[in-house]
Amino acid sequence: MSFGLASPLALFLLPLALAPLLFSPLRLSPISSVSAAPQDALSTLVAWALRLLASLAIGASTLAVAGPFREGRAIQRYGEGAEISILIDRSASMNETFAGRTPAGGEESKASAAKRFMTDFVDRRAHDLFGVTAFSTSPIMVMPMTNHRAAVRAAIQAIDRPGLGYTNIGRGLAMALSQFPAGGEIESRVILLVSDGAAVIDPRIQDQLRADFRKIRPNLYWLFLRTSGAKGISDQPDAGELDTPQALPERHLDLFFKSLGIGYRAFEAEGPAAVADAIAEIDRLERRPFRYVERIPRKDLTDHSLIVAAFATSVLVVAKFAETRLKQTARAGASPQFAKRAA
Amino acid sequence: MQRFDLAYRPRGRVSNGSVGAHGGVDVGGIGVFRDHARFIQFPDARRIDIRATMRDPTGETHVRRFEQRNAIDVYALVDLSASMGFHGAARRLDIVADLCAALAFSATRIGDRFGVIACDESLRNDLLLPATRARGAAVAAAERLRDAAPRGASAKALTEAAGLIAGRRKLVLLISDFHWPRDFATRLFGLLAQHDLAPILIADSTEERDLPHFGLVELDDLESGARRLVFMRPSLRGRWLAREAERRDALRRLALAHGRPPFVMSDSFDADALSRHLLGL
Repeated sequence: MSFGLASPLALFLLPLALAPLLFSPLRLSPISSVSAAPQDALSTLVAWALRLLASLAIGASTLAVAGPFREGRAIQRYGEGAEISILIDRSASMNETFAGRTPAGGEESKASAAKRFMTDFVDRRAHDLFGVTAFSTSPIMVMPMTNHRAAVRAAIQAIDRPGLGYTNIGRGLAMALSQFPAGGEIESRVILLVSDGAAVIDPRIQDQLRADFRKIRPNLYWLFLRTSGAKGISDQPDAGELDTPQALPERHLDLFFKSLGIGYRAFEAEGPAAVADAIAEIDRLERRPFRYVERIPRKDLTDHSLIVAAFATSVLVVAKFAETRLKQTARAGASPQFAKRAA
Repeated sequence: MQRFDLAYRPRGRVSNGSVGAHGGVDVGGIGVFRDHARFIQFPDARRIDIRATMRDPTGETHVRRFEQRNAIDVYALVDLSASMGFHGAARRLDIVADLCAALAFSATRIGDRFGVIACDESLRNDLLLPATRARGAAVAAAERLRDAAPRGASAKALTEAAGLIAGRRKLVLLISDFHWPRDFATRLFGLLAQHDLAPILIADSTEERDLPHFGLVELDDLESGARRLVFMRPSLRGRWLAREAERRDALRRLALAHGRPPFVMSDSFDADALSRHLLGL
């Protein structure tokens, strides 16, 4: 942990903190001989405490002027869970209900159902790192891999905004893979793909994806929000129908994922309840200890410095209120008479 | 300006060449009858006691002898170290000046000589007055003390002053707050032992009775400049007063060993009380 100063020149004022050793904040009471006062440990303690606090008040104020801060740094943290890269389909069809209609009345679109369950999911997993990527025609980096809950939650809140365009799953996957920090140990890594349909992955991109998957080795979960009546993952081609990616994109995407040689599971959800079950299943599967590095931003310590100064000063103020003098008591002795006279 | 009259009586018999108001060891022709002496011893034909001579079967001639009343020199030895500049319930130097002026006035009135020697770390020659019967000069010297600037961390020149007034027995009023080291006080009292020494302790109620019961007090020593923070509270105040009483007691024991007990003058000059003390009443 290292510290720095915004304006180190102010530290030239720091010798002022020695002033309390020479001067007292209290008014002096002249006396014939200080040896008349008996030695008293408590008084000595109070005297040194006041000196120390006065030095502290001046020193901390000076430091506050100098503007101290703690440097940003990277710390290693341990969490139970995984690095989860969420890849969300933002194509226009996500704004439809599971029945394939535009939501009306109390109906819930696939996107908002996904949003609701994903938010729960993020809340449940306290130590995971999440990265959020959206894709339609081209992928959008929504939130880089982070463990800041609020940011992740806000990113997920945004996924039920009206979607647009088509489903370009290949480039989406590439970006989701790029969320994982390069190098280092193989940690527990998860790609959670949420989509309501599949598309053909360009064969040229397929090779690239294969290489990336082999390098990063994430577990892949495909949450397929299946519109009722649409083709499913495990649907075999009808007789007479061609078994091509163009005709059955879901089936072929599934086959492609299976051929990657990584941990892969597909969940077919045909309604909100099924989505919840799928998410609970993923939650259960992905619980392994892992280590990650987090960057702590630079932190301004001026407030702390000022709080210390304020505390020291307030004690000095109390001492100032407790101040009395030898001579004043002689006058105070006379004041009750005045009071009596006034009464 | 009001002048207080101080009465005083030296302890013991005064032996001094000059005629004055106090009972002395000298014999003379007038005054209180003392004893008879043989004419051969005291050949004063005017004082031959016829009756005593006639009564004597051996035919010796007897002379009456009378007590000669003598004058005494009164000296005020004033401690002018910085602590005498203390200004509490009263200015310490005001009390000193009042006392000395009353003493100068009273002493010169009955034919005694009055002198002032003020000392800090050195003799204060500007304030020095050798014993004089001149009332104006004596009172003026006493009044000069009122505006004197006390200075110095000690009153060690008082030992020099003791040398200045050595000689015939004198009445010496040693005026100070007696914030002295014990051995210095013992030495000074020893040097002044031949005189009739009357220590006058100038005290102040703000340093004793009127100490605060509670609060923080930053004490500033007038002499050494040392500072000390004291957290006043009833228990500490009690200890402080006990310590002060102990200091007074030590002074009292020392002074009694040399004659008179100290007289404590607190906050104001009380001429009557001092008179009673000096008369030994």
